[in-house]
Amino acid sequence: MSDGPAPLARLVAELSRLPGIGQRTAQRLAFHLLRAPDEEAFALGDAIREVKEKVGLCEECFNLAEGPLCRICGDQNRDRATICVVEEPSDVIPIERTHEYRGLYHVLGGALSPIDGVDAEDLKIGELRRRVERGGVSEVVLATNPTTTGEATALHIAEMLRGQVTVTRLASGLPVGADLEHADEVTLGKALAGRRSLE
Amino acid sequence: MLVTAIEARPLRSLDRVRVELAPGIVSVIGPNGTGKTNLIEALYFALTGRSFRTSDRRDLIPFGGSLARAEATVRDEDGIEHQLLAAVSRSEGRRHLIDGSPADPATIARARPPVAVFAPDRLTLVKGPPAERRAHLDGFIAARWPARAELRKRFGQAVAQRNALLSRLAAGYGSPADLGIWDSGMAEAAAPLVEARAEAVADLATAFNEAATELGLDEGALEYAPRAAGSTEEIRAGLEERREQDIRLGRSSWGPHLDELKLNSAGRSLRRFGSQGQQRAALLALLFAERQALLEARRVVPLLLLDDVMSELDPGRRERLVNRLGDGGQVLITAADEESVPVAALETVVRMPPPQTESAAP
Ligand SMILES: Nc1ncnc2c1ncn2[C@@H]1O[C@H](COP(=O)(O)OP(=O)(O)OP(=O)(O)O)[C@@H](O)[C@H]1O
Ligand SMILES: [Mg+2]
Ligand SMILES: [Zn+2]
Repeated sequence: MSDGPAPLARLVAELSRLPGIGQRTAQRLAFHLLRAPDEEAFALGDAIREVKEKVGLCEECFNLAEGPLCRICGDQNRDRATICVVEEPSDVIPIERTHEYRGLYHVLGGALSPIDGVDAEDLKIGELRRRVERGGVSEVVLATNPTTTGEATALHIAEMLRGQVTVTRLASGLPVGADLEHADEVTLGKALAGRRSLE
Repeated sequence: MLVTAIEARPLRSLDRVRVELAPGIVSVIGPNGTGKTNLIEALYFALTGRSFRTSDRRDLIPFGGSLARAEATVRDEDGIEHQLLAAVSRSEGRRHLIDGSPADPATIARARPPVAVFAPDRLTLVKGPPAERRAHLDGFIAARWPARAELRKRFGQAVAQRNALLSRLAAGYGSPADLGIWDSGMAEAAAPLVEARAEAVADLATAFNEAATELGLDEGALEYAPRAAGSTEEIRAGLEERREQDIRLGRSSWGPHLDELKLNSAGRSLRRFGSQGQQRAALLALLFAERQALLEARRVVPLLLLDDVMSELDPGRRERLVNRLGDGGQVLITAADEESVPVAALETVVRMPPPQTESAAP
């Protein structure tokens, strides 16, 4: 199959770099955009530009933020004594949706994974330790994914914070190996409510 | 669950060959080279997305062609028929669809019967390296207890992570203290896997011995002696003890990833000392034991594919084998001639069409 005109080939190449998008899907998307009305296609381009220009990471918790602090860290009604640790900004959304949790977050930016060469220094783990050392925190809730790497990350943090603060883990009940991102609200709400303390 | 039809369109030497299947025993008869093995390979491919003959699925593509496809019709417990289609193409890779939509392996596994194959070249399961037997046993665990289907994968991930860290430590990077969480991770994944394997073997041992005796194998025994047994805590302690050695080696030198499922006859390893005929009997006995366990445990009906099994059995054993298969469950038997198949297995016979010859040039 020919790659078509160079700009089209470039779009296909860019799209196929996205996670979960293969060569064939990229081609389908590219042709769809090509056929779409101008304003629809330009809106997508603008949205990409805007998100890259305006959205950064919160200086406090590394969640997505439109300014120095994210919406949650900036909200004076949140319980500042509790920090919920998650792997990715996308994991904050399902937990917020449960309405069970009123504390703050800490987004690690991934999970420990020797295979991928990710160790503690590559994640915001030192920043979490400093947040706890600054005081005022009474509980850290570990809400990393129930996967091999998520469990190992939780264990690493639990050991790091042992004796300094109460560390809890989401109650089991989340399907093993699943992602937080795909857990339903009820299950996740229960897991939050039933969190248990790691000694 | 019942497979009611298989169609190869095309696959290896078969093109638009469709065969209707019945419950119970179906015998596929045809001279050498007519595509009997290709037909059961097509069925296996349609159901599992894999071949039992080759790890390169592209071998299934007809000579000079660019695509292989096989479609099975499976009737579920509610009597509803589903189409499972597996395809591999030179340019577009492979696909596995249920009723026309792509599906992940777990969904497909739920939509089809558990399937086991006996074929002459599957003897490697008995005489090959332990890894093949571990994989086979873990496959049985997944069919027997679907809730435990993920144990193997999860354990594999944990060992792979621990090994990745060990090889970095062996190369002088990182700190051995980092191993702690991976010792725990591996132990947590290992304990339930070892337990499941031990339970599976306990489940199979008696039936294996009985089937082996019937097939003329003396004191057939199935044994699993895990290196790392016991609680998560005990396995973690065992890993910690071996840390220095593991760091030196750059990999995990102890754990269920090295376990052996032993097939013995009269106390001796069939892998090392068994004759061809004894190894064949052991493989059959293992598949029969698994089939029986699945039949007893659940309502699902396992599918057994027996390629060319009669040719090397004497008439008495052929009869006993067919008697054993009469207890329910679907079976496909291939044979080059009808005479080698006991009459009890000839109720439903499929005759292979003669090979399609190249059409004469116009
Ligand atoms: N990729 C392929 N494309 C076309 N033909 C193939 C391909 N692979 C194998 N064949 C041919 O398929 C034919 C049938 O093979 P198959 O193994 O199914 O026969 P069989 O009926 O099982 O024979 P036997 O009784 O000897 O076991 C063989 O002649 C073989 O050369
Ligand atoms: Mg054959
Ligand atoms: Zn924040």
